[in-house]
Amino acid sequence: MAEACQIARKQDLPPPGGYKPIPFKRLPAKQYFSGYTMFAGYAGMTLISIYLYNLTAKRIQKNEIEMRSAKMAIYPMLLAERDREYLKQLRRNRDAEAELMRDVPGWEVGTYYGERVYKMLPPDTLVEPVFHEYYAHSSPSEWFRRAYIKMRS
Amino acid sequence: MVLTNDVVLPEESELTVEEVNLSTATLRAGSFHLGKYCEKANNEFMLCRIEENDPRKCINEGKVVTACTLEFFRKVKKACLAEFNQYANCIDKSSGDYGLEHCRKTQGVFDKCMLENLNLERPPFGYFCEARVHDTKRPKPPVEEKAVYPDATPALPDDVERKPARFGSRLYWMTE
Repeated sequence: MAEACQIARKQDLPPPGGYKPIPFKRLPAKQYFSGYTMFAGYAGMTLISIYLYNLTAKRIQKNEIEMRSAKMAIYPMLLAERDREYLKQLRRNRDAEAELMRDVPGWEVGTYYGERVYKMLPPDTLVEPVFHEYYAHSSPSEWFRRAYIKMRS
Repeated sequence: MVLTNDVVLPEESELTVEEVNLSTATLRAGSFHLGKYCEKANNEFMLCRIEENDPRKCINEGKVVTACTLEFFRKVKKACLAEFNQYANCIDKSSGDYGLEHCRKTQGVFDKCMLENLNLERPPFGYFCEARVHDTKRPKPPVEEKAVYPDATPALPDDVERKPARFGSRLYWMTE
Protein backbone atom coordinates (compact mmCIF):
# COMPACT_ATOMS: atom_id res chain seq x y z
CA MET A 1 0.00 0.00 0.00
CA ALA A 2 2.77 2.43 0.87
CA GLU A 3 4.54 1.69 -2.42
CA ALA A 4 1.42 2.54 -4.39
CA CYS A 5 1.26 6.09 -3.02
CA GLN A 6 4.81 7.10 -3.92
CA ILE A 7 4.12 10.35 -5.91
CA ALA A 8 6.79 12.91 -6.51
CA ARG A 9 5.88 15.86 -4.30
CA LYS A 10 6.98 19.40 -5.09
CA GLN A 11 6.97 22.12 -2.50
CA ASP A 12 5.58 25.51 -3.46
CA LEU A 13 8.57 27.78 -3.25
CA PRO A 14 9.39 31.41 -4.22
CA PRO A 15 10.58 31.91 -7.79
CA PRO A 16 14.28 31.84 -8.31
CA GLY A 17 15.72 35.16 -7.18
CA GLY A 18 12.90 35.74 -4.70
CA TYR A 19 9.57 37.55 -4.89
CA LYS A 20 9.36 41.00 -6.44
CA PRO A 21 9.16 43.84 -3.94
CA ILE A 22 5.61 44.88 -3.04
CA PRO A 23 4.76 48.22 -4.79
CA PHE A 24 3.59 50.26 -1.82
CA LYS A 25 4.93 53.65 -2.93
CA ARG A 26 2.33 56.37 -3.60
CA LEU A 27 1.82 57.20 -7.24
CA PRO A 28 -0.06 60.54 -7.31
CA ALA A 29 -1.85 61.58 -10.52
CA LYS A 30 0.03 63.90 -12.78
CA GLN A 31 -0.62 67.55 -11.90
CA TYR A 32 -1.30 69.73 -14.92
CA PHE A 33 -2.14 72.88 -12.99
CA SER A 34 -1.19 74.22 -9.66
CA GLY A 35 -3.86 75.45 -7.27
CA TYR A 36 -3.27 79.10 -8.02
CA THR A 37 -3.52 78.48 -11.76
CA MET A 38 -6.86 76.72 -11.27
CA PHE A 39 -8.22 79.61 -9.22
CA ALA A 40 -7.02 82.03 -11.87
CA GLY A 41 -8.56 79.89 -14.61
CA TYR A 42 -11.88 79.77 -12.81
CA ALA A 43 -11.90 83.52 -12.38
CA GLY A 44 -10.87 84.09 -15.98
CA MET A 45 -13.49 81.77 -17.41
CA THR A 46 -16.18 83.35 -15.22
CA LEU A 47 -15.22 86.82 -16.38
CA ILE A 48 -15.23 85.81 -20.03
CA SER A 49 -18.62 84.12 -19.67
CA ILE A 50 -20.06 87.14 -17.89
CA TYR A 51 -18.89 89.27 -20.78
CA LEU A 52 -20.42 86.93 -23.35
CA TYR A 53 -23.62 86.65 -21.33
CA ASN A 54 -23.95 90.40 -21.26
CA LEU A 55 -23.42 90.64 -24.99
CA THR A 56 -26.20 88.11 -25.60
CA ALA A 57 -28.49 89.69 -23.03
CA LYS A 58 -28.11 93.06 -24.70
CA ARG A 59 -28.86 91.57 -28.10
CA ILE A 60 -31.96 89.80 -26.77
CA GLN A 61 -33.16 92.91 -24.99
CA LYS A 62 -32.68 94.97 -28.12
CA ASN A 63 -34.66 92.48 -30.15
CA GLU A 64 -37.43 92.43 -27.57
CA ILE A 65 -37.65 96.21 -27.66
CA GLU A 66 -37.76 96.13 -31.42
CA MET A 67 -40.57 93.57 -31.42
CA ARG A 68 -42.51 95.57 -28.84
CA SER A 69 -41.98 98.65 -30.95
CA ALA A 70 -43.31 96.91 -34.04
CA LYS A 71 -46.36 95.68 -32.15
CA MET A 72 -47.06 99.13 -30.74
CA ALA A 73 -46.79 100.68 -34.19
CA ILE A 74 -49.66 98.56 -35.56
CA TYR A 75 -51.67 98.52 -32.34
CA PRO A 76 -53.77 101.67 -33.07
CA MET A 77 -54.90 100.23 -36.38
CA LEU A 78 -55.84 96.90 -34.80
CA LEU A 79 -57.60 98.65 -31.92
CA ALA A 80 -59.61 100.88 -34.27
CA GLU A 81 -60.78 97.83 -36.21
CA ARG A 82 -61.56 95.95 -33.02
CA ASP A 83 -63.55 98.85 -31.59
CA ARG A 84 -65.77 99.06 -34.62
CA GLU A 85 -66.47 95.35 -34.65
CA TYR A 86 -67.02 95.37 -30.88
CA LEU A 87 -69.65 98.11 -31.08
CA LYS A 88 -71.37 96.31 -33.94
CA GLN A 89 -71.50 93.14 -31.86
CA LEU A 90 -72.87 95.01 -28.85
CA ARG A 91 -75.73 96.29 -30.96
CA ARG A 92 -76.34 92.79 -32.31
CA ASN A 93 -76.42 91.41 -28.76
CA ARG A 94 -78.86 94.04 -27.59
CA ASP A 95 -81.15 93.42 -30.57
CA ALA A 96 -80.95 89.68 -29.94
CA GLU A 97 -81.97 90.17 -26.34
CA ALA A 98 -84.89 92.38 -27.32
CA GLU A 99 -86.02 89.77 -29.82
CA LEU A 100 -85.62 86.92 -27.32
CA MET A 101 -87.53 88.61 -24.50
CA ARG A 102 -90.19 90.18 -26.71
CA ASP A 103 -93.07 88.19 -25.21
CA VAL A 104 -92.13 88.68 -21.57
CA PRO A 105 -94.28 91.43 -20.09
CA GLY A 106 -92.44 94.10 -18.15
CA TRP A 107 -89.02 93.13 -19.48
CA GLU A 108 -86.69 95.95 -20.40
CA VAL A 109 -83.50 95.32 -22.32
CA GLY A 110 -80.35 95.51 -20.20
CA THR A 111 -82.28 95.53 -16.92
CA TYR A 112 -84.01 93.05 -14.65
CA TYR A 113 -87.67 94.08 -15.12
CA GLY A 114 -86.62 97.72 -15.11
CA GLU A 115 -83.96 97.44 -12.41
CA ARG A 116 -80.59 98.54 -13.74
CA VAL A 117 -77.36 96.75 -12.86
CA TYR A 118 -75.30 99.89 -12.29
CA LYS A 119 -77.63 102.35 -10.62
CA MET A 120 -75.12 105.08 -9.80
CA LEU A 121 -73.70 105.50 -13.29
CA PRO A 122 -75.20 107.95 -15.77
CA PRO A 123 -77.62 106.15 -18.14
CA ASP A 124 -75.44 106.64 -21.23
CA THR A 125 -72.32 104.99 -19.75
CA LEU A 126 -70.96 102.13 -21.79
CA VAL A 127 -70.18 99.34 -19.35
CA GLU A 128 -68.25 96.66 -21.18
CA PRO A 129 -70.08 93.36 -20.68
CA VAL A 130 -68.20 90.40 -19.26
CA PHE A 131 -67.20 87.47 -21.45
CA HIS A 132 -70.27 85.31 -20.81
CA GLU A 133 -72.66 88.15 -21.50
CA TYR A 134 -70.83 89.14 -24.64
CA TYR A 135 -71.06 85.59 -26.02
CA ALA A 136 -74.50 84.81 -24.59
CA HIS A 137 -76.32 84.93 -27.92
CA SER A 138 -73.60 83.40 -30.07
CA SER A 139 -73.30 79.76 -31.02
CA PRO A 140 -71.65 77.55 -28.38
CA SER A 141 -68.87 76.56 -30.74
CA GLU A 142 -67.84 80.22 -31.12
CA TRP A 143 -68.03 80.64 -27.38
CA PHE A 144 -65.76 77.66 -26.71
CA ARG A 145 -63.34 78.64 -29.44
CA ARG A 146 -62.93 82.12 -27.99
CA ALA A 147 -62.74 80.82 -24.43
CA TYR A 148 -60.00 78.45 -25.51
CA ILE A 149 -58.02 81.32 -27.04
CA LYS A 150 -58.62 83.38 -23.92
CA MET A 151 -57.35 80.61 -21.69
CA ARG A 152 -54.33 79.94 -23.86
CA SER A 153 -53.27 83.56 -24.08
CA MET B 1 -76.84 92.27 -20.61
CA VAL B 2 -75.72 95.51 -19.02
CA LEU B 3 -76.56 97.60 -22.09
CA THR B 4 -79.91 99.31 -21.76
CA ASN B 5 -81.81 101.15 -24.46
CA ASP B 6 -80.45 104.41 -23.02
CA VAL B 7 -76.93 103.57 -24.13
CA VAL B 8 -76.38 105.15 -27.51
CA LEU B 9 -74.62 102.69 -29.78
CA PRO B 10 -73.64 103.82 -33.27
CA GLU B 11 -75.48 102.34 -36.23
CA GLU B 12 -73.86 99.56 -38.18
CA SER B 13 -73.64 101.77 -41.28
CA GLU B 14 -71.61 104.34 -39.33
CA LEU B 15 -69.14 101.68 -38.33
CA THR B 16 -68.69 100.03 -41.69
CA VAL B 17 -65.56 101.19 -43.48
CA GLU B 18 -63.03 99.44 -45.63
CA GLU B 19 -60.86 97.37 -43.28
CA VAL B 20 -57.22 96.48 -43.64
CA ASN B 21 -57.30 92.92 -44.88
CA LEU B 22 -53.68 91.89 -44.37
CA SER B 23 -51.87 89.08 -42.62
CA THR B 24 -49.84 89.43 -39.44
CA ALA B 25 -46.53 88.97 -41.24
CA THR B 26 -47.41 91.70 -43.72
CA LEU B 27 -48.42 94.11 -40.99
CA ARG B 28 -45.30 93.28 -39.00
CA ALA B 29 -43.12 93.83 -42.05
CA GLY B 30 -44.60 97.26 -42.67
CA SER B 31 -44.99 98.19 -39.01
CA PHE B 32 -42.10 100.60 -38.58
CA HIS B 33 -42.73 102.62 -41.72
CA LEU B 34 -46.47 102.48 -41.08
CA GLY B 35 -46.05 103.83 -37.56
CA LYS B 36 -43.92 106.66 -38.87
CA TYR B 37 -46.22 107.45 -41.80
CA CYS B 38 -49.41 107.48 -39.69
CA GLU B 39 -47.83 108.82 -36.54
CA LYS B 40 -50.17 111.78 -36.18
CA ALA B 41 -53.37 109.83 -36.74
CA ASN B 42 -52.21 107.03 -34.45
CA ASN B 43 -51.26 109.40 -31.65
CA GLU B 44 -54.55 111.24 -31.97
CA PHE B 45 -56.52 108.00 -31.81
CA MET B 46 -54.59 106.48 -28.93
CA LEU B 47 -54.76 109.70 -26.91
CA CYS B 48 -58.52 109.88 -27.46
CA ARG B 49 -58.97 106.21 -26.65
CA ILE B 50 -57.01 106.39 -23.41
CA GLU B 51 -58.40 109.75 -22.28
CA GLU B 52 -62.03 108.95 -22.99
CA ASN B 53 -61.84 105.22 -22.23
CA ASP B 54 -64.88 104.71 -24.43
CA PRO B 55 -64.75 103.22 -27.93
CA ARG B 56 -67.85 105.15 -29.01
CA LYS B 57 -66.16 108.53 -28.71
CA CYS B 58 -63.15 107.73 -30.87
CA ILE B 59 -64.78 106.18 -33.94
CA ASN B 60 -63.88 109.04 -36.26
CA GLU B 61 -60.27 109.02 -35.11
CA GLY B 62 -60.21 105.26 -35.66
CA LYS B 63 -61.56 105.67 -39.17
CA VAL B 64 -58.75 108.13 -39.90
CA VAL B 65 -56.23 105.56 -38.63
CA THR B 66 -57.63 102.82 -40.85
CA ALA B 67 -57.75 105.11 -43.88
CA CYS B 68 -54.15 106.17 -43.28
CA THR B 69 -53.04 102.55 -42.97
CA LEU B 70 -54.75 101.65 -46.23
CA GLU B 71 -53.18 104.65 -47.95
CA PHE B 72 -49.76 103.62 -46.69
CA PHE B 73 -50.03 100.05 -47.90
CA ARG B 74 -51.36 101.22 -51.27
CA LYS B 75 -48.32 103.45 -51.65
CA VAL B 76 -46.02 100.57 -50.71
CA LYS B 77 -47.75 98.37 -53.23
CA LYS B 78 -47.19 100.94 -55.92
CA ALA B 79 -43.58 101.72 -55.08
CA CYS B 80 -41.86 98.73 -53.46
CA LEU B 81 -44.06 95.70 -53.96
CA ALA B 82 -41.33 93.17 -54.76
CA GLU B 83 -39.04 94.24 -51.92
CA PHE B 84 -41.91 94.35 -49.48
CA ASN B 85 -43.19 90.91 -50.45
CA GLN B 86 -39.71 89.49 -50.10
CA TYR B 87 -39.36 90.97 -46.62
CA ALA B 88 -42.83 89.88 -45.49
CA ASN B 89 -42.21 86.38 -46.80
CA CYS B 90 -38.95 86.22 -44.86
CA ILE B 91 -40.66 87.35 -41.66
CA ASP B 92 -43.47 84.89 -42.20
CA LYS B 93 -41.23 81.88 -42.65
CA SER B 94 -38.16 82.57 -40.51
CA SER B 95 -39.54 82.17 -37.01
CA GLY B 96 -42.61 81.26 -35.04
CA ASP B 97 -43.20 84.74 -33.63
CA TYR B 98 -42.65 86.81 -36.78
CA GLY B 99 -39.35 88.04 -35.40
CA LEU B 100 -37.63 90.85 -37.22
CA GLU B 101 -34.09 89.88 -36.27
CA HIS B 102 -33.85 87.03 -38.77
CA CYS B 103 -34.48 89.20 -41.82
CA ARG B 104 -31.89 91.97 -41.77
CA LYS B 105 -30.81 91.50 -45.38
CA THR B 106 -34.27 91.74 -46.90
CA GLN B 107 -35.06 94.51 -44.44
CA GLY B 108 -32.10 96.50 -45.76
CA VAL B 109 -33.34 96.11 -49.34
CA PHE B 110 -36.86 97.17 -48.35
CA ASP B 111 -35.63 100.14 -46.30
CA LYS B 112 -33.51 101.36 -49.17
CA CYS B 113 -36.45 101.18 -51.55
CA MET B 114 -38.74 103.01 -49.11
CA LEU B 115 -36.16 105.72 -48.59
CA GLU B 116 -35.62 106.22 -52.30
CA ASN B 117 -39.21 106.05 -53.49
CA LEU B 118 -41.37 107.26 -50.62
CA ASN B 119 -38.72 109.24 -48.71
CA LEU B 120 -39.62 107.33 -45.55
CA GLU B 121 -36.77 106.50 -43.25
CA ARG B 122 -36.98 103.56 -40.88
CA PRO B 123 -37.23 104.84 -37.29
CA PRO B 124 -34.72 103.57 -34.70
CA PHE B 125 -35.53 100.21 -33.14
CA GLY B 126 -37.16 101.53 -29.95
CA TYR B 127 -38.93 104.49 -31.50
CA PHE B 128 -42.49 103.40 -30.75
CA CYS B 129 -41.67 102.38 -27.19
CA GLU B 130 -40.67 105.91 -26.29
CA ALA B 131 -43.02 108.28 -24.54
CA ARG B 132 -44.35 110.89 -26.92
CA VAL B 133 -46.05 114.23 -26.66
CA HIS B 134 -49.01 114.90 -28.89
CA ASP B 135 -50.67 118.24 -29.47
CA THR B 136 -54.38 117.92 -30.15
CA LYS B 137 -57.33 120.22 -30.72
CA ARG B 138 -59.78 117.85 -29.07
CA PRO B 139 -60.83 119.24 -25.66
CA LYS B 140 -59.73 117.30 -22.64
CA PRO B 141 -62.54 115.33 -20.99
CA PRO B 142 -63.58 116.75 -17.62
CA VAL B 143 -61.99 115.10 -14.62
CA GLU B 144 -64.45 113.64 -12.17
CA GLU B 145 -64.39 115.69 -8.99
CA LYS B 146 -63.78 114.15 -5.64
CA ALA B 147 -67.03 113.20 -3.93
CA VAL B 148 -68.00 115.24 -0.87
CA TYR B 149 -70.19 113.48 1.67
CA PRO B 150 -72.19 115.69 4.08
CA ASP B 151 -72.24 113.05 6.83
CA ALA B 152 -68.53 112.28 6.74
CA THR B 153 -66.70 112.05 10.07
CA PRO B 154 -65.10 115.45 10.80
CA ALA B 155 -61.30 115.47 10.99
CA LEU B 156 -59.45 116.42 14.19
CA PRO B 157 -58.59 120.11 14.45
CA ASP B 158 -54.90 120.98 13.92
CA ASP B 159 -54.30 122.33 17.43
CA VAL B 160 -55.58 119.29 19.30
CA GLU B 161 -53.23 117.81 21.89
CA ARG B 162 -51.41 114.77 20.47
CA LYS B 163 -50.17 112.53 23.27
CA PRO B 164 -47.44 109.96 22.65
CA ALA B 165 -48.67 106.42 22.15
CA ARG B 166 -49.23 104.57 25.41
CA PHE B 167 -47.45 101.36 24.43
CA GLY B 168 -44.97 102.79 21.92
CA SER B 169 -44.65 101.74 18.35
CA ARG B 170 -44.61 98.14 17.21
CA LEU B 171 -41.90 99.23 14.79
CA TYR B 172 -39.66 100.45 17.56
CA TRP B 173 -36.54 98.84 16.09
CA MET B 174 -37.04 100.85 12.93
CA THR B 175 -38.20 104.16 14.33
CA GLU B 176 -36.13 104.53 17.48
